[in-house]
This record gives sequence, C-alpha cells and structure tokens, in this order.
Amino acid sequence: MSVASKYLPQSHRLRLAVLAAVAISLFVPLIARLWYLQVIKETAFVERAADNTTETIIELAPRGRILDAKGRVLVDNRASILVTIDKEEMASVASDDLQELFFDLATEISRSGNLTKVPQIEAAYRSNRYGPFAEVPVVQDISEELQIYLAEYSYRFPGVKTTVTTVRDYPYGSLAAHILGYVGLLSEDEMSSVALKQKTYLANDEIGKSGIELFYEDALRGTPGRKVVTVDKFNNILEINEEIPAKAGSDVQLTIDIDLQALAEQELARGLALAKQQPTKFEEEGVVIFNAPAGAMVVMDPRDGSILAMASHPTFDPELFVSGISQDDFDELTDPGNFLPLLNRAIQGTYPPGSTFKPFTAYAALDTGLIGSRGILGINDLFYDEGVFLIPNCEGGTCRFQNAGEAAYGDVDLRLALTYSSDVYFYNLAASFDILPGFDLESVQVAATSFGYGSRTGVTLASEGSGRIPTPASRREAYRENPEAFLTGSWLTGDTLNTSIGQGDVLATPLQIVNSYSALVNGGTLFAPNLGDRILNPITGETEVEFAPRVLKEIYLPDSFSDPILEGLAGVTTWRSDIGTEGTAYGAFKDFPHDLWPVSGKTGTSEKQVENALIADYGLFVAWGPNPEPEYVAAVVLEESGFGGQVAAPVIRRLFERVATDNVPSYLSQAEKDKLAKELVTRSALNPEIETEEIQNQERSES
Amino acid sequence: MKFTKTRKNFNLNPTGDPWSPWLHVDIALVLSTISLSVIGAFMVYSATRGNDPEIYDKSYLNRQLLFLGVGVVVMAVVAYFPYRRIRDWVPAFFWAGMFLLLLVLTPLGVERNGTKAWFEFGSFQLQPSELCKIAYIFMLANYLERFNGRLNIRQLGNALLLAVMPIGLILLETDVGTALVFIAITMGMLLIAGAQTKHIFILTVVGVLLAALVWSSGALQDYQQDRLTSFIDPVSSQTEAAYQQTQAQIAIGSGGLSGQGFGQGQQTRGEFVPEQHTDFIFSVIGEEFGFLGSVVVLALFAIVMWRCMRTARKSPDLLGTLISCGVMTLFAFQMFQSVGMTLGIMPITGIPIPFVSYGGSSAISCFVGTGLVLNVHMRRYQVV
Repeated sequence: MSVASKYLPQSHRLRLAVLAAVAISLFVPLIARLWYLQVIKETAFVERAADNTTETIIELAPRGRILDAKGRVLVDNRASILVTIDKEEMASVASDDLQELFFDLATEISRSGNLTKVPQIEAAYRSNRYGPFAEVPVVQDISEELQIYLAEYSYRFPGVKTTVTTVRDYPYGSLAAHILGYVGLLSEDEMSSVALKQKTYLANDEIGKSGIELFYEDALRGTPGRKVVTVDKFNNILEINEEIPAKAGSDVQLTIDIDLQALAEQELARGLALAKQQPTKFEEEGVVIFNAPAGAMVVMDPRDGSILAMASHPTFDPELFVSGISQDDFDELTDPGNFLPLLNRAIQGTYPPGSTFKPFTAYAALDTGLIGSRGILGINDLFYDEGVFLIPNCEGGTCRFQNAGEAAYGDVDLRLALTYSSDVYFYNLAASFDILPGFDLESVQVAATSFGYGSRTGVTLASEGSGRIPTPASRREAYRENPEAFLTGSWLTGDTLNTSIGQGDVLATPLQIVNSYSALVNGGTLFAPNLGDRILNPITGETEVEFAPRVLKEIYLPDSFSDPILEGLAGVTTWRSDIGTEGTAYGAFKDFPHDLWPVSGKTGTSEKQVENALIADYGLFVAWGPNPEPEYVAAVVLEESGFGGQVAAPVIRRLFERVATDNVPSYLSQAEKDKLAKELVTRSALNPEIETEEIQNQERSES
Repeated sequence: MKFTKTRKNFNLNPTGDPWSPWLHVDIALVLSTISLSVIGAFMVYSATRGNDPEIYDKSYLNRQLLFLGVGVVVMAVVAYFPYRRIRDWVPAFFWAGMFLLLLVLTPLGVERNGTKAWFEFGSFQLQPSELCKIAYIFMLANYLERFNGRLNIRQLGNALLLAVMPIGLILLETDVGTALVFIAITMGMLLIAGAQTKHIFILTVVGVLLAALVWSSGALQDYQQDRLTSFIDPVSSQTEAAYQQTQAQIAIGSGGLSGQGFGQGQQTRGEFVPEQHTDFIFSVIGEEFGFLGSVVVLALFAIVMWRCMRTARKSPDLLGTLISCGVMTLFAFQMFQSVGMTLGIMPITGIPIPFVSYGGSSAISCFVGTGLVLNVHMRRYQVV
C-alpha cells in the first residue's frame, strides 16, 4: 500500500471498500437490464419501433367515369366533404359526453341544411364494420362552410374530422339510371369476395351494386395508392420508403346514345301515361282498369348486338345513393306498391311475349317442314281462319281456342297470318306439331330456344332474367314442386297451342324479345347484347379495351324462311294496298315516312295470369327499320295497358319517327341547361325582344 | 517501488514549485471524463439535429461543445489551486449557492416540467442546484474532516443540519431527483466520515419512514407520483411518464447488440422519447450503438468511479478522501438513477447523466467535481 493512505485507519479502508462495492454493484442491474432489452427482447422491440415509426398511407383513387357512345359523361365524380369520428379518440369519452357531442354535431349539420338525426350518426358510429381505431364516416356531403366551422370549433367536437372524398355525380340526373346502376358501401359478403381481387378494398370503400357500375366494377375501380413512410412522433413524414401511386379507374364507354335513351324514356313514360287515360273496361269477368304502372323498352342495333337505349319505368334517382341511401328511401325503391323502381324491367322483367312470339312459331313450322312442299301447308297456301279453333280429339283441359274477339280473318297464308296476327292459323300449326306423327311437339320450343328464349342473353349487366320456355318436362317438374298451381302435371295439346302464341307459361324479357328479332332481321346472327363499347384510359382517353360484337350463334335462317316471315311483318305497320287491308299496327304508323325509312313490326297483347284478379292486358310491340337492312330494333312492353297495337306501337312509332327524320332532340345535362338559361338571360338583358321569343321556343322544345 | 520513491522525493521538493503537482494529473480520469463528454456531445447532436439533411441543426452540438470546453478549462482552474487552500473559500461558495437556491424560488426562477430550478439568460439556463452539489460536497467534507473519522451523534446531527438546507430548498423546487442526489452524497460521505453503523441504520429507517410519510401526505402532485411509480407497470399506466419510459425502452431494445448506427436510430429520429437529449439520452446510446456501445459507456463510468475511489484511498488527508468519495457518489448515483430510469428499472426523477446529457450546468458541475478529484490526486504526495 502506498504511503498516501497511511493516515487512514483500517476501519476507513473497510468503509471505502463498502462504498466501492456498492458503486460496483450498481452496474449489475444496469447491464442485466441492457442484456434483457437489447439481446433477449430485441426482436419484439424492433417490431414495436417499426410500428411506431412506419405508417402505411392509402391514397384513394377516383373511380372511372361512364360515357355514352358519343363520349358524353353520364357518371362523373365530384368532391364531397365527409365527416368522420375518430373511434380511438372517442374511446375515452364518457357516454353522456358522447351523446352530447352527437347531438351538437347533428344540430350543426342539420342547421347547415343537411338534415341529420342523432340516431343516424350513432348508428354509423356504432357500425361494427370499423375497427376500434378507425375513423368512422358518419355524414357525407356537408357544405364547405360547415367544414370550416367544425375546424374552427374543433374543441367542441373532439375526434370529429372532415375529409374530402370523391362521390358519384350524375350530370344527367336519373337518365339511364337502370343501366348505370349505383355504388354503395361494401357489404360484408362483398368484403370477403373482394379480398381476392387485385385492387385493394378498404372497409369504407364503395363498390358497384348494380348496372354498369357492378358489371364493369373491375375496370371502373381505381387502384388505391400505397405509401409506406417513416414518421416521427408527430406523424410528420421523414422519408418515403415505398410508394405505389394511386391509379384512377378506367372510363367505360357505353353503346348507349343518351339522346336516344332520353327519347326512349320519355316516350315510354308518355306511352304509359296515355294508356292510363283509357276508360275502364267492363267485362263479364269483372272490371279491367288500365293501371299502366310500369313498362320497359329496349333499342338495339341488329347489326352488332349493341344496345342503343334501354328504358325501364318507373325509374329512380341514382343521386339518392350518393353518400349512402337512407333506409326510408331504399324501402320506397324496393316497395312492390311502388312497382319496384329499382327493377330494370328491360332485363329483369319477364312477360308473356304474346303474339310477338308468332314469328318463331312460324320459323319452327318452316324449319321442321310443317309448312312447305311436304308439310300440311305450302308457304303460300291459304288456311281458312274462322276465328275459332277446336282441338281435334281433345283429351281434356281447354279444347276451344279463339282469336282475340273471335275475329274471323278468313283465308290467310303465313304472311297474312302474321300481318293480322291470326291465332287460329298458329293454333293449327301447334296442334299439328302435337298430333301429327313425325313432328316433335316441342318444335316451337326448339325454335324459340335457338333464338335465345329461355336463357339469358348474356348482356353486360348483372341480374338478367332468363325467361321461360315451357316443355312437358318442365311442366312435370313445376307440378311436382307446386301441385296446387296446375290442374294436371301432364302437358296437354292446349299447352302447345298457348305456347305457339307466346302465352301460357312462356315468359321473356324485353331484351330477349329484341334480341330474337335482331337475329331474325339480320340474317340469323344471335348476339350477346353489348352495353359496354370500350374501356378508356381515364387520362389519355385512349382505348384500352374494345369490346367486339359477341356472336352467340348463327341460326339456320335461309331466305326462304325469313322472307315470308319478314314480308308478313312488313305488313303490320302498313296498309296492304294489294289486298286492301291493314296490319295490326297500321293505326299507330299512319303517316309514318315509310318510303324514307321502311319499318316493320309485330304487335303483341298478352294476358298476365294473376290469381283471383283481373288485370289489363300487357301491350307489346317490336319494330325495326329501315328495311331491308335494319339498323334499329326496338321492343316495348307496357304493363296492364291494353292492346299492343293501340298502346305499345305508338311509343315506338314516335321514337322511330324522330330517328327516321334524324330529329332526335339533344338531351342536355343540368349544367348545360343552366348555362343556356344564363345565356338567354344575359342576351335578353341586352335585347329584351329576343328574350320572350327564345324562351318560348325553348319551352316549346322541352314540352 | 523504487520508481515511486523517486517520484515521492521529487514531490517533496521543498522548492514548492506550484506546477509540480501537474506531473501527477490522473490521465485516466481526464481521458475517461472527456471521452464520456465527447460521446455525449455526439449523442446530443444525433438527438437534436432534426431530419433535414440539408440543414441539420448543429446549435445543440455547438453549445454542448462550448460547455465542454468551458468545463475542461474550469476543471483545470479548480485543479490548479490546492484544495486545502480552496477550503477557505468553501463557506462563501456554499452560502452563495444557498442564496441562489432561495433566489430560484422567487419569480426570477423559471419553471420547466413542473420544476422551478432554472435561471434564464437568453438562450442559456443556469441550474443552481447542479452547482450546489459540488459546493455542498466540499462544505460537508470540510465539516466532517475535523472529527478524524469518528462521528458522535451530535456531530452527525450537525452534519444533517447542513444537509437539510440544500435538500429542503431543492424539494421546494419540487426537484425530487436532485434532492435524492444530495441524500445519496450525504449518506456516502457520512459512511466515510465515520458515522456509526447503528446511526446509519437508524438514519436509513427514519429516511424511509419520512419518504413514506411524504408520499402518503399528498404533498406530491399526481403526475409526480406517476413519474415515480410508472416504471413498475408502464403498460397499464397511461401517463406521459409511462409513455416516455416505454418509448425509451423501445429505442434501447431495438438497438440490439450492435445498434442501428450513428444517426440511424428510428426512435431517435422520430423524436419519440421526450427529453432524449437530456435526461433520456441513454435511449439514443442504446438505440444507435446497441448493447456493446452501452457497455462501453458504462465501462467509462466505471473507470471514472474507480479513479475517484483510488484517489480517495491515496488522498494525503481525510478532506481529500471525503471530497473524492462525495464526487464519486455523485457520479455513481446520477449515472445509476438516470440510466436506470431510461432502462425502466428506476423511477423517473429527471436528473441528467453526468458528462453525457445536454446541459451546461450539469457539464460544468461535473468537471468542477472532476477538477477537485484531480486536485486531490495531484497533491496526494504533499504532506499536510
């Protein structure tokens, strides 16, 4: 030991040693703890640090637009301010305070003109689709003033935030609503199905629910961007580790022409309104009221199967679905009492096609040789229609069939039978299929099926109906499932007769009817109808995908088959000067510019059988032109409206007249109308005399 | 042995050359304290430079380097005057310190984080309690030395009276951490000064009881209690204190064995740990240099403490021993408390790590303490 510490007694050395020992012992827990944190628990802490410092930001991508054939925007996007509540921030708020907050929020939002109730906010907030840390959207589409207000008084609304989102915008209002469809929040079912899709979906994302929005969801949907960033404690972004930019959804261009679409919708509505004005009919069985509540119309280009217009009545305003439809509104739209406005009757409504079905029965007769040199009748052979048809050797069920009103048309060949719509002529054919050896009693069904009846056309819309072509087998099946609905499970000759004129159990959608006629008039090409024309790049406008016409099949349709049928149908809209008689739709097509735009058609009047109720007939009409190479085929169905020739044919006549004379009015969007009105006002201020004249003109054209 | 003897003779040179003690400077102590300070300055830079590589903020680094420079100069000055001469000035320093502790309680003092412990001059702050630590050590050593290593109850009482003054004033600042440092220093020095074992035992029991009494009396604010208890269960505790400790542990834990590298700590860069450049600077060390770097820093502290103890043992008189032990206790306790709190095994008391944490008062006070130990070490051969 050195000299220096000599002054220290032994006890002090011990005390120094004790102090040194204490000092050294301090390092033991420190190093042990360091080892524990940095070596044993390293992985867990590395993860927690990453949780702290990295954040994934999802950047939403706008949905693609929907354009018409001429590139006019039918569905656009617009910015909408969304109010959200941060659940994490709210977790610590007492429920009384929460109620108060909801009340204040509802009050402020309502005051700004967006009527909102507390339970509405609460239901949105409590919805279990969001996790405990989510920002829950509660009210959409608030005003900018309110956004500023909420930001200014944020201390009154803790956890309440606003963000700008994009929502659907409909420049043409409810035009083509059924085609376009609508979007809505992902349902739970959809959430699991979209998990497999390439484009990411979030819990509060919207998805196409119907129409084009649903069918072209994959194209329209934008690809959300993703940014993985390093953040500091205050969520400032320090660096971007990974960035996938958001990609806007593609635009979808439709085959629809909005001018024609608007005209179709207007004429359909007008047709129904006129049908409604018919006086109530008193018959033996009871009173028949022309309710004319609903209808549908489809216009198609028979050359390529593209749909030019598709209308369904009643319709709805897709704007209701923007930012979430209220339950009340949704109930209204799905109420049978309101005739199901959401239903797209053009593809989902199934109707007995009635006499519009006859050309296919005629085709069956020609195809099987029932009409022909070796059949029961030659094409030009006359058959005497006495207005009534009795089934030979009738075994049961109805045995006596008649024309509408027991009209006797006298001697008719195939052409005239179609022109007059002679039921008896076709009953005769049907009975022959049923009875004559060597003929298949299902010949009509076979022919109809080959023209697309009884199965979906494959139109580019979801939820299409398939209609029904009854056969003995399907009757047996139906009887087995529901014996009370039928007298017998066996197929009677009467059933074949009913089938031959599109009655009985035959059901078809307006689209199927149009599509079958399209094949009939284009030489036998059955298309799957297209509503989508192409997919466009949303930025450059370049075509990304072009949808070619989809040929389902080529039907065997030699001129020797189609000529007599089409000749017969050409007479429907005209006055047959050669024999001095008129077709069933002549009245409707009186003074139509036939020489300019030759048009043919077929009327149909079908009975919808409803138990214990007497309802008015369904009026149908199909027409096409200009002959001989038609560019338009149109079909219309008016529910509970009366005779097709009287109520349905005028609808198409008015449409075709505009088309024939190239006089389809331009349909203006709301913005265009506003602009026009403003211009008029400005000009009228300069020259008051113009004003009255122009405004009157505009009013006239609008009415 | 022979060599030592020669040196001894050289030191006993009656010519009394005032520069001769400088030949006995404890190089190890100087190097280890300066190393800690330099590491600390770099850690301060890492914790405060911000995230924009174009304009890294160097102001904290520059100021810390300034404090360091001033500290080293002050250390030299303190070492220059023989400590047995300085003792004449000690009461003046001590009472001046007490006056400043009183003054800081007046509106002249500035409150930060609930503690009223600073004077502010422009962008510089002075924390009188830091400077008082050294004055108190010297004052207490000065008083205890005269009893030649045995304290009776009265002398012990007097020593405690001396201790109560700064501790009481600092508690009035509500700076519990610094008060604890004073208590630790007092206990360490009383042990060396010869307090009887039974007295130390009784004192400990009375201290614990008093602490319990203060705790339950409600004199402490809720947040203060939180800070003291949150380390026990930081997960369930939702306080800022618990957040701070949790974040510090995430930073340290994610450093792993070898750390994420200088300037690369994610937690540090994101400024997730409040006070990461001052009291919680060990989180930066742990994150950026890992277990190995942390152990190196602790080893440097071990060297500092070893050199202080060595000086205490080699001191030519009890005064030198007491001063060295007091300074050693100061460093040891602050290091343990501050690192321990960052590691989550000690309560949050808000005291800096000696030499490493940002702060002028602390840096200067540490170097003054080191200067005193050097002073003793340099003069260990001079006969009293």
